[in-house]
Amino acid sequence: MKFAWKKILPIGAAIIMVLLLIAWGWTGLGTASFVRTTLSGLTLGSLFFMVAAGLTLIFGLMDVLNFAHGAMFMLGAYMGWQFYTNPTFIFGISPLIFAFASGLMLLPLIKPALIRWEINSKLQQNLPRIAYALALLMIFFAFNQLDIMGLADTAMVAITTTTADNPLAELSAQEPLLRFWVRPALMLVSGALIAFATAKPGDKTEFAVAEKTTQKWIIVAALFVATVLLTAFREALPETVLLMNGNLRFFLAMIVAVLFGLVFGGIIEITLIRPLYQRATFIVLMTLGLSFVIREVVQVLWDPLAYQMVRPPFFAQPGKAETVLEWFRNGNSTLNIFGVTFPTYRLFIIALGLVMFIFITLLMTRTRLGMIIRAGVQDPEMVEALGINVRQVFTFVFALGIAMAALGGIGAAPFIPVQPLMGDQFQMQGFITVVLGGMGSYVGAFIGALTLGLARAFGDYFALKLSLSPAIAEASTVIIMIIVLLIRPSGLFGKKE
Amino acid sequence: MPEPTSTKKISFRKIIRRESGFLVLTVLLGLFPFVMNLITGSGLNDGITKYWQGQLIAFFIMAVLAMSYDLLIGYAGILSFGHAAFFGGGAYTMALLLTHWGPTFASRYRITIPGGTDITTLIIFIASLLASAVVALLIGALFSATSARLKGAYFAMLTLALAEAIHILAKATDFVQWTGADEGLHGVPIPAWLNPTQFRLRFYFIALAFLVISYFVIRRFTNSPTGRVIVATRENEDRMRMIGYNPATYRTITFLTASLFAGLAGAMYSLWNMSATPSMTSAVTTVNMLIMVILGGMGTLIGPIIGAGLMQTLSQFLYNFFGARWPLVFGLIFIFIVLFFPYGIVGTWRLKQPDLKAGWERFRRLLGSKPPEQQ
Repeated sequence: MKFAWKKILPIGAAIIMVLLLIAWGWTGLGTASFVRTTLSGLTLGSLFFMVAAGLTLIFGLMDVLNFAHGAMFMLGAYMGWQFYTNPTFIFGISPLIFAFASGLMLLPLIKPALIRWEINSKLQQNLPRIAYALALLMIFFAFNQLDIMGLADTAMVAITTTTADNPLAELSAQEPLLRFWVRPALMLVSGALIAFATAKPGDKTEFAVAEKTTQKWIIVAALFVATVLLTAFREALPETVLLMNGNLRFFLAMIVAVLFGLVFGGIIEITLIRPLYQRATFIVLMTLGLSFVIREVVQVLWDPLAYQMVRPPFFAQPGKAETVLEWFRNGNSTLNIFGVTFPTYRLFIIALGLVMFIFITLLMTRTRLGMIIRAGVQDPEMVEALGINVRQVFTFVFALGIAMAALGGIGAAPFIPVQPLMGDQFQMQGFITVVLGGMGSYVGAFIGALTLGLARAFGDYFALKLSLSPAIAEASTVIIMIIVLLIRPSGLFGKKE
Repeated sequence: MPEPTSTKKISFRKIIRRESGFLVLTVLLGLFPFVMNLITGSGLNDGITKYWQGQLIAFFIMAVLAMSYDLLIGYAGILSFGHAAFFGGGAYTMALLLTHWGPTFASRYRITIPGGTDITTLIIFIASLLASAVVALLIGALFSATSARLKGAYFAMLTLALAEAIHILAKATDFVQWTGADEGLHGVPIPAWLNPTQFRLRFYFIALAFLVISYFVIRRFTNSPTGRVIVATRENEDRMRMIGYNPATYRTITFLTASLFAGLAGAMYSLWNMSATPSMTSAVTTVNMLIMVILGGMGTLIGPIIGAGLMQTLSQFLYNFFGARWPLVFGLIFIFIVLFFPYGIVGTWRLKQPDLKAGWERFRRLLGSKPPEQQ
């Protein structure tokens, strides 16, 4: 029973404190400003949670402080926004990516045969190098002169000139399909070459078994079919997407951001983070460098400008809805809540954060994977000793964390300007949230995010009242964190050292 | 505290031999303006010679900053992300005092030495410098006091957040008449005899002296018994605690030393730029320091100096080559270094030195010259 008390006590204390604060705030501020400030705080808290949830899981499981999380948030916003306004870029580049992945997925299939290959040691050393060089050359030719630069122009054009018969306001015609086929083909071969090189042909020290071959062949075949379809319909698909209902398109944009985050996170974990698990400090440095690079790449592709994403029609109709039903029928941009006019899109962000929290809770408490993750947070070595491939779980959790950040990014995109530095502030607040809630605890991240969001909102309100700048409210979050850390050095819900 | 076991006297000659590389570098840098003047004939305080002196001054100051950071992450193994707070704290103290306190003081009092020379500006300058050091030390004390119980990631995050708080205060519009908020302080009225545009050569030697003195003081610190304890704590904290050392004390000492030098570097930087801007306190500054240290090699002291120089030249070179998007290339280089040369330039050099020596001998034998005399 003592154990249970320890768990319940902080939650109970927090609830009582929150209730007291609500009562005090309600009487002190008056209904209107109290409701408005609370809702603003919840919106912010929801966004903080989307960043912090991934951070806390990644840290709890594998001790990785991911400094590139804000950059991922930003990338998710860019991807979703690009899909929403003009998906030509995404559909133009996806055949290449899918072809590459299809080639790469051959790795587990060819490895068992390749490592048994009898070749002399010199060839064994040089063959992978040649293959890598060839693959890089092919990637270069595949992307050479591909019309992907100047996204800043195309993205802005499409949304303003969309008409019923021609939604794509492309002035120059796209590359003829016959010539375009060469690019995915090159990418396919280069992916296969890299698979060949990573398989280390002729290396007797390697070990691989051919198992679940059919399943793996199906993955390769599926990726290949996807490549072919995407290449064939690469001009028709963007048009279809742009002619869709705006709400559906926004929903699809969120899915694109999540998928992108999953894939990108997985790739980063496997290629960049995994070699460094032995040197924890260097992972931090690596993610720092990565955030640097991502930010610059985004500025190369989209120009260093700030964009304003158009809200989906469900939140865009001018005029105030008096009831929730009216909003659902008309899609108003503002809603009347206890006499306060509040933007409906911010309510959506709050809902998105809640949905994400419920999703994580279900994942962590109701699935086998969640069980493994929770066990891994406690003791990764023990989990590995039980015969579970922890490395695979690491990759999945990293990808999941990035995907959540990306979803947060596209969720925030219609609300804040889409620009290369948009993630940094959220990353900072995300870190504070994670430290506040205790690293590795998603419940802690949730509570911490709510606390911080509300502190920011009320801090802003009081700063305005006392004619201080909002910067003081920003600094107040740091003070909250310091106080919590002085009392509980491992955060509110963190495990004790 | 137990007495250090080795009381062997280190002779002056020994120090010279051990630090020969650094001393040669110092002499070369000291001769640089004159040699440059001889070659280009542009005058000591003019043209290209002046430009390169400026580049080197920035390098000297950044080198001290990188060294102070190396003290933390290299020697003590503390991953702190708040170093910009010390740097910015020093810079702001200097700039604020010179802007708001200096003129009023000079208008009220006049201090002369018996010979009749006016030393008011000198007094103001020294007082501001001391104040910068004190402020940096106070910030360092604040950092180590709040983070005394924390470890690892919590510690890193707390330092990051504290530095962010100081950054926010530097940017806050509430103190705009003092700090200039987002704009920062510009055109700081620094003493006329120190003006880096008028007396570039003088400032050059002051900055060089600053680097040399800092290097030897930090070197002395790391070689002292205290420094040994700090390194040992990095290697095994529990064991040091068992022997009877308190790691928290030594962490505080390291923090204070590092913050002192970072603060002085900040003060120098604000003198050199005649400004103090919020970007000096931002996380980007810390990341730049980190890159310098990683580039040169952690825990080597000479490495961060090289790293600072490389960063300075590389950023110039890459900017000329790739335009505004040069950080992209720089970031790729950084990732490459982290993945493949985690010990930096000096660290990798020290690791590979035996190999390189053997290779050099083989090369000489190949050329048919005399084999090295064997004793």
